[in-house]
Amino acid sequence: MTAGGDLSERVLVVRCPGWPVMGREPGHAGDGAAPGGGAVRDTEPGAPEFGQVVSVVEGFCPRVEVLHPGACAIGARGPARYFGGEGALAAKIIEAVTGGGFACHVGIADGLFAAVLAAEQSQRSRGTRRARPGGVMRVAPGRTRAFLAPFPVSVLDSPDLTDLLPRLGIRTLGEFASLPAAEVVNRFGTPGVIAHRLARGLSRRPLAPRPPSADLSVGQEFDPPARQAEPVVFTAKALAQRMHDGLAASGLACVRVQVQVVWSSGQEITRLWRHDGLLSALAVAERVRWQLAGWQGGQDGPGDDDAARAGGITMLRLTPDQLVRDQVQQLGLWGDAVVSDRLARAAIRVQAMLGHGAVTRPVRAGGRGPADQVTLVPFGDTNDRALRQAGPGRAGRTGGPGWTGEPGRTGGPGWTGGPGSEDRPWPGRIPAPSPATVYPAPLPARITDDSGATVAVSGRGLVSAPPARMSADGAPWLAITAWTGPWPVTERWWRPRATRRRARFQLVTEDGAAWLVALQDGGWLIEARYD
Amino acid sequence: MAGLASLLPRRHDEDAVPDGGRLPVLPALRGLLPGGLKRGTVVTVGHWGLLCLAVAAGASAAGAWCAAVGLPQFGVAAAADAGLNPGRLLLIPDPGTGWPQVVASLLDGCELVLLRPPGQPSAQMRTRLVATLRRRGGVLVVAGGWDDAQARLLVVRQEWAGIGTGHGRLRARRVQVAVDGRGAAARLRTRWLWLPGADGSVGAVDQIPVSGQGMRDTG
Repeated sequence: MTAGGDLSERVLVVRCPGWPVMGREPGHAGDGAAPGGGAVRDTEPGAPEFGQVVSVVEGFCPRVEVLHPGACAIGARGPARYFGGEGALAAKIIEAVTGGGFACHVGIADGLFAAVLAAEQSQRSRGTRRARPGGVMRVAPGRTRAFLAPFPVSVLDSPDLTDLLPRLGIRTLGEFASLPAAEVVNRFGTPGVIAHRLARGLSRRPLAPRPPSADLSVGQEFDPPARQAEPVVFTAKALAQRMHDGLAASGLACVRVQVQVVWSSGQEITRLWRHDGLLSALAVAERVRWQLAGWQGGQDGPGDDDAARAGGITMLRLTPDQLVRDQVQQLGLWGDAVVSDRLARAAIRVQAMLGHGAVTRPVRAGGRGPADQVTLVPFGDTNDRALRQAGPGRAGRTGGPGWTGEPGRTGGPGWTGGPGSEDRPWPGRIPAPSPATVYPAPLPARITDDSGATVAVSGRGLVSAPPARMSADGAPWLAITAWTGPWPVTERWWRPRATRRRARFQLVTEDGAAWLVALQDGGWLIEARYD
Repeated sequence: MAGLASLLPRRHDEDAVPDGGRLPVLPALRGLLPGGLKRGTVVTVGHWGLLCLAVAAGASAAGAWCAAVGLPQFGVAAAADAGLNPGRLLLIPDPGTGWPQVVASLLDGCELVLLRPPGQPSAQMRTRLVATLRRRGGVLVVAGGWDDAQARLLVVRQEWAGIGTGHGRLRARRVQVAVDGRGAAARLRTRWLWLPGADGSVGAVDQIPVSGQGMRDTG
């Protein structure tokens, strides 16, 4: 198609459907999780378990790249020759992974982008009559551009372009790929060039033509060996920062980062993680944590040997892999919402004391109740889709650009972030003013009428009697001086397990306090307090 | 050039609020805290609530980073409505038993820390924290009790508007806030405020006479 060096290598992607979506690449939609549905940001469930899948795949090719928990990739050329063809290799991998108790799908194509789509395609076509045994989708060498052509442009990982292109009448990757490259540069800039290369079946960016003169890997030895994961993860933050500084000084970014951990017994475990110049130092450290947790929880790793585990970790090394010129990650001229070093140091120190998830920043989310309208993101995670879209946070700076509202009046359109649903109308949401106290878990309460009977609400939204007295979580009874409601709301009725029916009330008690309470399943809950 | 510089968004690297000795407060609170919050001091508010957010909002709006420690119930939307910038907010809901150390570390990076102490702080702990506070030039806003505070704020009276018995909705609250303290702040002062006002913001009562009428009518 084009000059030889530009052609992508053969890539095989193994994808386990239904894995938690945390950390996945935005734009590769099509998973079971509802977008913006739950705002679930628990601490990476499943990342360690995915280590088991990765170890199985490592049996076929030692260099496995983890794209996100739930998907990993290997270079297909060498293993395919050894195992007798790409089809045979895919069948063997599926057999081995399925044998470990995980459903999986495999896609093979030129380049990672097409291979990921092929893996998703094979999953989707399973249910139809074109079912493929084992869920393999193989795109023949050189046919990648034709394979990509019918896909909608929304599969590109670029929110601006996927919004803009359809409005220009360009709906599929094929139509986009047929535009002349020079015009694409003029009109869409660097992100457009990357997307255009992907649409043509080429690699994301040309690899750096020469190897870097200096060794950009960073390492740390532990003497005495570290027996706990926490100090290693903490060191990883500092190492990642040094690695990013070194890369930035050379004007380079790395596509992947290789994390190597050596135990005092001499055993070592090496893993590649997707980086794309987007991860902060903290996010790299989090990958190290996953790697350690995955190894400790793994059944088939070298970790079977308890003595070796007790030996402790003697060395940690981070190596940037596949260096490319750093093109789009430059800081804005007048610093975008970059966290100052002083603040980052303070926050990291607290994270070292309490754990990564203990220091959070609020991001606005969509929802009706006051507790649904905010999502907390651990400090330093630029991994979140919203934060990534909010602005160019250069790799190596801690703390992503978050809530870029103007100081002062932030209630309005200045709020950014959230899973993309915060600006929807949300009929039935609680009207302003917002409560100052939002209980993370609603408090149980008792609310009775004059006769002492618990107030109920009928199916048609009628109150049994005016509420007269309230007792919050076992506290003394207070007379209710003013009340309003009920405001019935039925949420997620389409998902039986997540469905929620509430009738909300606002109350003022004799001490002057104002409350947001709700009746759900016959019990009264205090959701928030206004004053 | 100086005129041009003022037009540019603030460089976040230099996020120290310029006015050396004091952090600014919202205009509505200037009558209660003349000159703002004195750096290196502790301000207490009777209990956790909107008044804490209002005290912190002025500094945050001026570009200071704020941290909220021990406040899992922090209402971010209400904070934003009051004027606090959620983009410059760190939340540490559960600081654990080592909370004084957490607060001291945060004071290195944040100019204002909102704290609800998980336990009764000992005198030694307080002395050590206040020393850190002085060294760093931060302000600690405590929800609850704290001896030797520079200023103590308290909601004395409050009255909700807009809600009746079975109709209307909460629209605004009129509160009487009293403040006393040490030194120049020793004299007891009281002010009436809208906390919150009809749009969630904080205002002095005489500034919003019209909406007050409307609210009573609705109620």
